[in-house]
Amino acid sequence: MPLMPKRVKHRKSQRGRIKGEATRGNRVIFGEFGLQAEQPGWLPAATIEAGRIAAQQYLRGGGRLYIRVFPHKSITSIPLETRMGKGKGEPDFWAAVIRPGTVLFEIGGVTEDVAKVCFARLAHKMPVRVRMVKKRTM
Amino acid sequence: MSDLLEVTARSVTGTQACQKLRQEGHVPAVLYGHGETCVDLSVRRDAVEAMVRHGSKTVELTGAVKSPALVRELQWNAYGTIPLHIDFLRIDPSEKINVVVPIELRGECPGAKAGGKFKQVLREIDVECTAQTMPEVAVAHVAHLEAGNVLKVKHLELPQGAHATADDEAVVASCLLSDQKLEDATDIGTKATESNDE
Repeated sequence: MPLMPKRVKHRKSQRGRIKGEATRGNRVIFGEFGLQAEQPGWLPAATIEAGRIAAQQYLRGGGRLYIRVFPHKSITSIPLETRMGKGKGEPDFWAAVIRPGTVLFEIGGVTEDVAKVCFARLAHKMPVRVRMVKKRTM
Repeated sequence: MSDLLEVTARSVTGTQACQKLRQEGHVPAVLYGHGETCVDLSVRRDAVEAMVRHGSKTVELTGAVKSPALVRELQWNAYGTIPLHIDFLRIDPSEKINVVVPIELRGECPGAKAGGKFKQVLREIDVECTAQTMPEVAVAHVAHLEAGNVLKVKHLELPQGAHATADDEAVVASCLLSDQKLEDATDIGTKATESNDE
């Protein structure tokens, strides 16, 4: 089941603009290795779930996977073959807003080689360019 | 390990001046502590990157200021690739300071091979030490961690003069058997089967 908010104040949100770089959520905190976004974009809940499955099937309980983003934003769409107008469409899916520098996933308890392969599998699912980062001690 | 870091005094402050400094290949820094006045400094970026590569938390400042200092905080850009600012804290080599030290696991856990589930609980630890005895890492030897055992803070290897401020009985890493709880696990070096035989 993809992630989605339990309850929201407003069902529909405006698209907004993704400006600047991530000023928070840009460090590896929980694990030892992280997957950091290099581009801005929306990360749909289904994609987060696809990434989670890809990573956990590779890890097979050998390490721990942390998901650092949550899809808070509802994305609406209008059905096909609909005439223009008649108001905003209905919510279609939920997405996380990603700014460059955001750490999307983290892995702990595995070696660097394992994390590298795992993130390579995970990166194929991502709609933005990503790179692997290590936890900093300084 | 203590690196030599040449610093220059900085008369300009503020966002724009600091951005200009960064474009010129310098990193703005500040030195404070011990009730003395705060000094604005700048350091060459390549020297800072070398310091990070070496993993030095204490440095010997030369140039505009001559003093041993602790790297209190290092700010990075959004990608964690470019150092933006450094906070140096004045230290006395014999003064006790508290630092956070990462825990490094060494060796292969035999318990994990025997069917136990290995888990690292603590990843860093608060250590009280002098600047001279500050460890880079706290070493945890897991080569003797059998299935059903736990490795505690008291088993960590720290240099002479440094000691962990955390509870000695706090668990650092565990290798538990299936359906075993953390409370039932025994200390490293004692076999879990021995207690069952008795």
